Amino acid sequence: MERIFAKPFIGALEGHVDAVECMARQPGTLDMVASGSWDGGLIVHNIIKKSQQMRIDVAHKGKITGITFADSNRLLSCGVDRNVKLWDFRDVDENGAGPSEPRKPLSVFPGKTAFNSIDHHRSDPLFATASNIVQVWDETKSAPISNLTFPTSSETISAVRFNLSESSVLASIGSDRTFTLYDIRTGKAERRVIMQMRSNSLSWSPTFPTSVLLASEDHNLYTFDIRSLTHPTQIYKAHVSAVMSCDWSPTGTHFVSGGWDRTVRIWKEGQGTAPEVYHTKRMQRVMSTLFTADARFVLSGSDDGNLRIWKAKAHEKLGIIDSRERAALEYRERLKEKWKMDAQVSKVSRSRHIPKPVHKAAQLKTTMLEAHRVKEERRRKHTRAGENKPKAERKKVVITEQT
Amino acid sequence: MDSLFAKADAIQPLRKRRKTEKDDHRPKKTKASGSGSSSHDATLTSVAQSTGLPKSLRSSSPPPEGTRAYSHIKDKKLRTQLTRESSQAVRAKKLVQDADLLLTEEKGLMEVEGDMEKTWRVGQDEVTDAAGQEAARGRKEWRLDGNPGYLKYQDTSTGQLVVEHRTKLGACTTMTQNQHNAVIHLGHQNGTVTLWTPNLPHPAVRLLAHLGPVASISVDASTGGRYMATSGQDGAVKVWDCRNWKGAVRTWNTRGGAAELEWSQRGALVVGTGGSVNVYVKPAIQTPFAGTVSPPLYMTHPIPHRPISSVRFCPFQDILTIGHSDGLSSILVPGAGEPNFDSSEADPFENKKARREREVKGLLDKIQPDMISVNPEFVGSLAPEPKLTTAVNDKHDIPFARLPRMERLRVSGKADETEETEDEGDDGEAGDGEGKPKLTKAEKEKKKMRGKNKSMKRYLRKQRKNVIDPKAVAVRHKLAKQRDEKERAKAEARGEGQPKSVALDRFKRRS
Repeated sequence: MERIFAKPFIGALEGHVDAVECMARQPGTLDMVASGSWDGGLIVHNIIKKSQQMRIDVAHKGKITGITFADSNRLLSCGVDRNVKLWDFRDVDENGAGPSEPRKPLSVFPGKTAFNSIDHHRSDPLFATASNIVQVWDETKSAPISNLTFPTSSETISAVRFNLSESSVLASIGSDRTFTLYDIRTGKAERRVIMQMRSNSLSWSPTFPTSVLLASEDHNLYTFDIRSLTHPTQIYKAHVSAVMSCDWSPTGTHFVSGGWDRTVRIWKEGQGTAPEVYHTKRMQRVMSTLFTADARFVLSGSDDGNLRIWKAKAHEKLGIIDSRERAALEYRERLKEKWKMDAQVSKVSRSRHIPKPVHKAAQLKTTMLEAHRVKEERRRKHTRAGENKPKAERKKVVITEQT
Repeated sequence: MDSLFAKADAIQPLRKRRKTEKDDHRPKKTKASGSGSSSHDATLTSVAQSTGLPKSLRSSSPPPEGTRAYSHIKDKKLRTQLTRESSQAVRAKKLVQDADLLLTEEKGLMEVEGDMEKTWRVGQDEVTDAAGQEAARGRKEWRLDGNPGYLKYQDTSTGQLVVEHRTKLGACTTMTQNQHNAVIHLGHQNGTVTLWTPNLPHPAVRLLAHLGPVASISVDASTGGRYMATSGQDGAVKVWDCRNWKGAVRTWNTRGGAAELEWSQRGALVVGTGGSVNVYVKPAIQTPFAGTVSPPLYMTHPIPHRPISSVRFCPFQDILTIGHSDGLSSILVPGAGEPNFDSSEADPFENKKARREREVKGLLDKIQPDMISVNPEFVGSLAPEPKLTTAVNDKHDIPFARLPRMERLRVSGKADETEETEDEGDDGEAGDGEGKPKLTKAEKEKKKMRGKNKSMKRYLRKQRKNVIDPKAVAVRHKLAKQRDEKERAKAEARGEGQPKSVALDRFKRRS
């Protein structure tokens, strides 16, 4: 019955002229989300009222590549114009009109090269930026306090994130297909993993401290446990094009991923196929995704300049649910759990309507993969027994680990 | 970093070997906490106390014996209040005594002392005396001052006629439904009992039960629909096992002619014949017995008014209601009703809201009529293995998904075998003699080659023909045999019978 009630789309927030590149949610609240776009526009939205709290049309001269909240009133943004700017959005009107002259940032941190990503430390007034190196800055000083690089690397770092429980540990992903871990206290890069394909996005798990999720160019998402980086703990396969962004739910049981194939998928941790799929004709390439702090809603920022709000559970009723209704819903969930092995039931619960191009692409992908697999098997069959052993899918992801 | 690892290890240490499907997924047994059986008692007694009429509606005249009179008090209001209080106290005391007296943790039949005492000698008066006040209210008397064999299934929610079966056995006098698998049991005038489901146009089971018309049928709900009792005009009562229809489990003759039958919720069978109503209970009535002696009697009650038109047990109480020519009699049968009801199945104390909910839920959970079958376990059971397999000598080498394309087509029966007819030609001609017009090989090739004119393909096909894979040959043989068997079965069904043997058959190669 949940398929009848599955109406996940809630609303779209317009305002950006160009594609939405990055989003950040204000920690500790449910309503404030900041988004930055390719034309340099920065908007802080109130997603409950669906209005704009603050709007800065030319926050940066080029694309805004990263946004993060410093604390409950201040916001850091970095762009390709080699600047990191600190904004304050405390004194604004309710309608978000703002003063007539353009807002000035509280402070500007100039850098040597274009920045790709920014993330703020959990408690200290530190933030880290990613350009061709990872730099750690202090909010009060205008020059970076330390540079963290791996000795033999010469790459562009595309994302950097602080660990949510042990905040002195940083992770970054680079353009030469690497994933690197740093520690601020030692001041250097600890470990590095080179994979088959480059990753686009990185997210630490909020509930399990050593688990990190990577959204990769090879249409998959990988979770790694940093205690053993030689192979991922789980592979999530469903996207038919590069996965551009990923974000964990605050519960740590689900995560959302947005892909170049114009879909937003919500996955359950541990289940590597058949996620929930959201798509709209108007939503083009999804560049950034975010889970809200109550784990009930998912935000997606896409190429067409809109920020869309979706329900995390598509059939959830948003109003007040009384105890009898909740008991009935739980009973139905349990029935689905019990009968999920049945072919008809699992078919109904798995099947989603997918736009035709995505469906065709998925079919093509399965045909090609099947052809590869069969060819590989035939090769194995016609070589001497034991010379060519099948390799586990998980072991194929990481090429090497460096320390 | 080390502190990060320590945090993670505290939550979930990194296993060197991950759990695979081959590991034991059964839940490990933990120590079961013994829940107090005493709480079971307290709940029952507290419920028993309050599941009756409200005290204001209970008859207060005559006041129970033991109430004090208070006639010395002149004030009327005070006197009535005091007498009411004292009568309530006496009643409450009696209820408490009953609750203590009845062994409420066991559900059981009545017991008699001594070998000479028989349970069926205990009359209704003694039972009502011994039973508590609540139970004794069930002993009541009411006095009241009067096809041609179609079985129609009608959907009560849409009003549509689902299916109509012509039984072709004449007017049907008795009908009952097996609650366990929703199969309808009909009893006919010629002594046959038939079982019907909406799917089949003919009865699923047809059984000659009696030598006269079938008077009454009932199916036992306590064993999950396993036993059925039938009675005929010839005076015989038979208990059948629904899983094995070979012979009746138990047969006996009643002296009163046609009997009315009913099974209670806990497996007691009541047979109402002639001038009396007999109750038989579970272990004896359901064990097979060779002779035609009636089973050991549990209870009996004389009904002087003939004929007895029907007998029915009240669902959750130990009450049996008998309909006879003079009205209705309600008697107490200890141990007949289900005392511990499951309120999610059927709740006798449900209120209006619960009933509404139950009706709506019932409609939502209603299954399609074609899911009804004689074997209730078939819904949710595994499908039988497919007949067409690639197993050679019953050994599976390669699963279907990994077979080469030609094998896959062959197994699914869609392969185009025109190239291989030369190999099979000798074997395939063995004695069918059906006389179908066979295209010559050249004609077939010409037809096949329409649209495929590449000479390279022809060349490759010729190359392929010379490759003989023993497994493929074996699979082909097997499939050909299966196909032959199917055709032969079809031919027999059509009524063509065996083809005539020709004199030259002795020279044909036996395959």
